[in-house]
Amino acid sequence: MAHGRTRKVLALALTLLLTVSMFTITGCKSDGGTSTDGTSGKTETIKIGVHTSLTGGLADYGFAASEGLKIGATDFSGFEVDGVTYNIELVIKDDKGEPAEAPIVAQQLIDEGVVAVIGGLTSGATNAALPIYQAAGIPVLSGSATAPDLTEVGFDNFFRTCLRDDLQGAAIGAWAIELGGKKVVVADDRGDYAVALGNEVQGTLEAAGVQVLREECAEGDVDFSAQVNNIKAFGPDVIIFTGYHREAGLLFKQCIEAGVDAQFMGGDGIKSNEIGDEAGGAANVEGALCTFGGFAQEAMPGYAAFLEKYEAATGKDGGPYAENNYDALGAVVQAIVDAQSFEGADIIAALHDVEYQGVQGTLTFDANGDVSVPGGGGIELIPRFEYTGGQWTYIAD
Amino acid sequence: MALEHVFSLTVSGVTVGMIYALIALGYTMVYGVLQLINFAHGEVFAVGGYIAASTLIWAGIDDGMPLWVKVAYFALAVLVSVAVTATLGWLIERLAYRPLRGRSRIIPLLSAIGVSIILQNLLIVIFGPEPMIMPTAIVPSGSFELFGARIRVLQVVIIVTSLLLMALLTWIVKGTRMGKAMRATSQDREAAEMMGIETNRTISFTFVMGSALAAVGGFLVAMYYGSLQYDTGFLYGLKSFTAAVLGGIGNIPGAVVGSLVLGLAETWGVGLRLGLLAWLFVAGFGLGLYFQFWRAPRGRVAHIAEEFRTPAYERQLLNVYRLAPYSATKTILSKRTDALVAVSARHAMRLMTGNLFLLGFALLFFANSDVQFSSKWQHVISFSVLMAILMFRPSGILGEHIQEKV
Amino acid sequence: MKTFFSKIADTLRRAPRWIYIALALALALIFPMLESWGLMETLWLRVGTRALVYVLLAVGLNLVLGETGLLHLGYVAFWAIGAYTTAILSSPRTARLLYMVQEHGIGKALTTVTQRTMQIPEELIGFHIGFGWVLLIAVLIAMLFGFILGIPTLRLRGDYLAIVTLAFGEITRITFNNWEPVTNGPGGIPGIMPPNIFGWVVDKPGEFFYLLLIVVVIVVWLLNNLKNSRIGRAWNALREDEIAAHHAGVHSTRVKMLAVVLSAGIAGLAGAIFGYYQQFINPQYFPFMQSTIIVCMVVLGGMGSIPGAIVGAVALDTLPEVIRQTFTKWLPDAFGPDFLPGVQAAVQTDFDRYRMLIFGFVVVLMVVFRPEGLLPNKLWRRETHEVDPREQEQTRQHLFDLEEGHPDLEA
Repeated sequence: MAHGRTRKVLALALTLLLTVSMFTITGCKSDGGTSTDGTSGKTETIKIGVHTSLTGGLADYGFAASEGLKIGATDFSGFEVDGVTYNIELVIKDDKGEPAEAPIVAQQLIDEGVVAVIGGLTSGATNAALPIYQAAGIPVLSGSATAPDLTEVGFDNFFRTCLRDDLQGAAIGAWAIELGGKKVVVADDRGDYAVALGNEVQGTLEAAGVQVLREECAEGDVDFSAQVNNIKAFGPDVIIFTGYHREAGLLFKQCIEAGVDAQFMGGDGIKSNEIGDEAGGAANVEGALCTFGGFAQEAMPGYAAFLEKYEAATGKDGGPYAENNYDALGAVVQAIVDAQSFEGADIIAALHDVEYQGVQGTLTFDANGDVSVPGGGGIELIPRFEYTGGQWTYIAD
Repeated sequence: MALEHVFSLTVSGVTVGMIYALIALGYTMVYGVLQLINFAHGEVFAVGGYIAASTLIWAGIDDGMPLWVKVAYFALAVLVSVAVTATLGWLIERLAYRPLRGRSRIIPLLSAIGVSIILQNLLIVIFGPEPMIMPTAIVPSGSFELFGARIRVLQVVIIVTSLLLMALLTWIVKGTRMGKAMRATSQDREAAEMMGIETNRTISFTFVMGSALAAVGGFLVAMYYGSLQYDTGFLYGLKSFTAAVLGGIGNIPGAVVGSLVLGLAETWGVGLRLGLLAWLFVAGFGLGLYFQFWRAPRGRVAHIAEEFRTPAYERQLLNVYRLAPYSATKTILSKRTDALVAVSARHAMRLMTGNLFLLGFALLFFANSDVQFSSKWQHVISFSVLMAILMFRPSGILGEHIQEKV
Repeated sequence: MKTFFSKIADTLRRAPRWIYIALALALALIFPMLESWGLMETLWLRVGTRALVYVLLAVGLNLVLGETGLLHLGYVAFWAIGAYTTAILSSPRTARLLYMVQEHGIGKALTTVTQRTMQIPEELIGFHIGFGWVLLIAVLIAMLFGFILGIPTLRLRGDYLAIVTLAFGEITRITFNNWEPVTNGPGGIPGIMPPNIFGWVVDKPGEFFYLLLIVVVIVVWLLNNLKNSRIGRAWNALREDEIAAHHAGVHSTRVKMLAVVLSAGIAGLAGAIFGYYQQFINPQYFPFMQSTIIVCMVVLGGMGSIPGAIVGAVALDTLPEVIRQTFTKWLPDAFGPDFLPGVQAAVQTDFDRYRMLIFGFVVVLMVVFRPEGLLPNKLWRRETHEVDPREQEQTRQHLFDLEEGHPDLEA
């Protein structure tokens, strides 16, 4: 087997070569910012990391987040710390929506020498990456990770500019009760987001004495006939789906085909105009209701201006959570200016005290890192939408 | 439990079962001639649906068109998708399986998995990860009431189409020269070759036919649910394979029976929330295993039992008593009680092992607080059906039809 | 020129085996130091540590797939079992579960979804099980499930085994996803505490690298001894020809069971350490694709060859990252930021879409053209390569000619 031996030796030699070359190429560690001594005053660049998912199932959300942040980077550049003007350079990294990839992305950002990180996009990825950011003492602000756990496990470097699942769950439940729901179906897709939200909705409804049927329509499935049959036998007046729009469309379509007559509702996962196609025609979901896990865009003081910039930059309609990410970047910049420091600990301390005027309004962070508005506020913060004429429209109070 | 509820569940179950059958037939025929699980078959099915839907979108079908135009478009989509998937099936066999004939059995299986990964990811690369939406224009939208249950015209269309295709397939296998060649090849490939049958051509034909059926299945699924995703094929493939094994692999009527049973098991299992039945199922599972394992002299698992049922343990136990220093125990225990202790210890061990399974599977099924069969365990139903058949009756309901010498 | 290279190859080939082992070990030992000396980014340490987890998994799967010739498609299940053992026994979840058991009994604790806001007493906060126990329990539980899976399935035909193990893998993942009272469902378990090994608190990637390296070395050493023992020979015999092996006195079911159980234990071990390393576990880590990726690693390296499994795991786990960095960082750094901008963008955005596609092609091409893998095991080569049909035909023709009587002889 001389042939095999030669190959083996060659393979080993190649591996060696590869490893050695890897070391020599990565020979230098990059450090923080690079200074460009301009002619007029001193301008430096500071790196801020973006931990998001540009590929995978939630690529739309990742795209919107990174575009919102790019606008933010231009808007917030030129702030002063110790008399030096700083510009922001975004370092955008993609974790593909896989938790196993999140720590690698976190480490890449830390290696790049970022002073703060905006992200991650999903709660799972954020959970997987937070220990690494915390060990490095880097502040993390997410615009879209809504799982309640995140601010309760004890990560002092984590903040978010979106509202939590439990608040949205309570809001959906309260709305269903308002609509006169006596028998309500709560369905999720077995994903982390939908289950957490579904549990909150179910808890709210059951506490109010509403009869609840819990169903699951697993993500990626197409056949929900058994669930639909159960729903039909249960005879609900409201059907709430807490997952994403594709399964929601299929479930609502199959419910209508089976002759179930009920009010369709959902969380922000179904707030996509594509739901019309997925439900086999917009007429099928006409009048469906949904909530949103952030503040109402229509009620935001700066949203019109932001949307204009976003559309000019991307040529697309406003994307989900773009403004939350934009505000997260703004809050970090303000915290840096307040602290007059790029040290992680100083920024974290400043973030707790910051009162930031953003697109969404005036934002502050509580002791856990959750966003709050001055004057507090509960479920009435959650905006409501109705599907009419092929798109979601805001219901003003 | 209202009767119309049961009835409408049954109709859904039969519809799903018919779709499983269209895919399962491909599995079972290929297994019959090659003894190979064609892992890529589920993906071929998804490709069929994707091609049909994209043909219709490309052709620009519209709601306002007259019926005959719609029918023409429909025929076009069927033709294109059948042609593409049949070619695909032929190519897969030619490139990924044929070069591996005669090698160790694990090798073509690995190749099949590779092909499955390739096809699934090609769908992502070409069509994107978002779901493929089927134009609604050609989907018959009517429905009618029967015994209090609402039945869609499309469900009837699916059932009738599947039955027609199965009849056609039966005719091909039973009544044509090619079918005869297929049967001969699956009985004994070498002998068939000696009789002058071109087995390579026969195998290719089997792949082409299986893929064409899967394409129709894909089209029907896309119509029924309105959309397909790149990973739809994987799950459908797995379930259809289960159906093929359930009915008896290599056995064409078996595949249909198995698919119907599986379709009904799934919809009834979730739909009727038969908590008690599910518990009985698990209990029966454990008991059956217990009997197969330890009692039945020639049960399927009896061979293993033989290996574990060594008298060594008993002998050891007796030796302990014998070698023990003269003591009160020794005098009290006559030889008979010694044996009794040994035998009861053996029984206790058997019971424990039996219960271990019971416990394991009970945990798997009812890890959640609700004793009812909640819909979140839907996929577990078909997976555990698969495991159960393979344990108790690997030859399936109607028996398998494959080469004896494997 | 050719003679020059073949001379080098010859020398390399003649070099004793221990030199390669020593080289590989030295390389692995120095690797984390490069980071602390500032020669390498921490990223590569993390990539390397994850690769070591895959090395353990590939070596473990090689036992079943390579040595014994059983296609196991649910291997990820044992990995998940190991990781969840760590997560349940060594995180804030442990205290919650213990409190539930104390208050309501074990049945209720295993079946009731507790409120997120449930208060647990002060003295229970921070309670967890030590590293050694967790490892032991994880390995034992994984082995137990390997045994449970093995009893009914090992008598089945080889290809049925593939599909049953696949089903087992999916059932396990769905169970972890659905068993909310214990596993917190799809939300996963955060906050896993770092292991404390006799006072050595392992919480930096470099330390995890060494910890895993120690485990890998021990496991590989044990497996190598096992491979060359009676049991190893029995495995190989079963792979070559089950019936012949059976008649030669190999207890086929028992020996197969040993392979399945041992490999399950190795995956459980890998999972337990992986859980500590990630500090967070949810079911998304363990999709079916992970099982196929591990199969790809073993096939690429060479079924039945331990060095092959190691090289396959390292290559498939690190190459995507190396390729990405090459095109988006190193080349632009070396040749200016505008170097091949199109390729940069493509690698940045589209590369991941093609990653699994490339894996699929790797499997099919390897299996068709080089089934013995990159670093082959001699026995497999003989088994996987069919005798050249042309050669066979020639021999047959030759015999035929002799029988018919050769024209030359007749004349």
